[in-house]
Amino acid sequence: MRVPSPSDEMSEPNAPLFLPVILGTPRQGRMSEHVARYVHSRVSRLAGVETELIDVRALQFPLDDAGESIKNPTFSAAMMRADGLVIVAPEYNHGYPGLLKHALDTNLKEYIHKAVGICGVSAGPWGGTRVVENLLPVLRELGLVTIFWDVNFASVRKTFDAATGELLDRGYEKRLDKFLGELVWMSKVLRHGRRQVALSG
Amino acid sequence: MTERARITCPACGAEMNRHAEKVDSSGTDGFDSELGGVLMEFHTCPACGLVVERRAE
Repeated sequence: MRVPSPSDEMSEPNAPLFLPVILGTPRQGRMSEHVARYVHSRVSRLAGVETELIDVRALQFPLDDAGESIKNPTFSAAMMRADGLVIVAPEYNHGYPGLLKHALDTNLKEYIHKAVGICGVSAGPWGGTRVVENLLPVLRELGLVTIFWDVNFASVRKTFDAATGELLDRGYEKRLDKFLGELVWMSKVLRHGRRQVALSG
Repeated sequence: MTERARITCPACGAEMNRHAEKVDSSGTDGFDSELGGVLMEFHTCPACGLVVERRAE
């Protein structure tokens, strides 16, 4: 994962948004990786947007501690730089992967008043609707602003070619378009707010 | 309600924007019993994007 660095570009109102995509599971054989790579490829084609695919498996957090005391400098720097996030989260036993939560919990100030959108993933037909609903209060408590579009990648072994990662169901393209449109809008608005709109009182 | 004095960005020296407050329920120094924790404030630098978190004054 490339270490992002501040640049003069960040001071310009029309500077590119930085919208990293987080692959939220370390599991071997994960189909979510195909989802994350597809979503990342779509984000990378957006005008005025820079992105990066962040794999929680690669972050290698210790398991004998938790929270901000185990910050990963590279991950935290990416979150600091981010204007919005895409989280690709498979649903495991009606919930989110533990390592995703472990990683997210290592930051706080980096997330405040930034946009986030969730792409749920499931092997079954519900497309991770439960993992999306379970993540919302977590993200809210972290200070993130959730968008009202989700993308639910259902029956993921039929939706993506397991070997090549190719998207087989083109029906997802339109929904992802709407999702990303809303994420970009919210990211722009919140960037302006963070930098220019003071909290009164 | 009035706007508070701005702090200076430790990275680039620009005036930062205070845009959020949030309670840290696990904090003890400056515990506010009405809020149930320590009130933290968040400032973002409009120039370099740095975020600073500190206990609210």
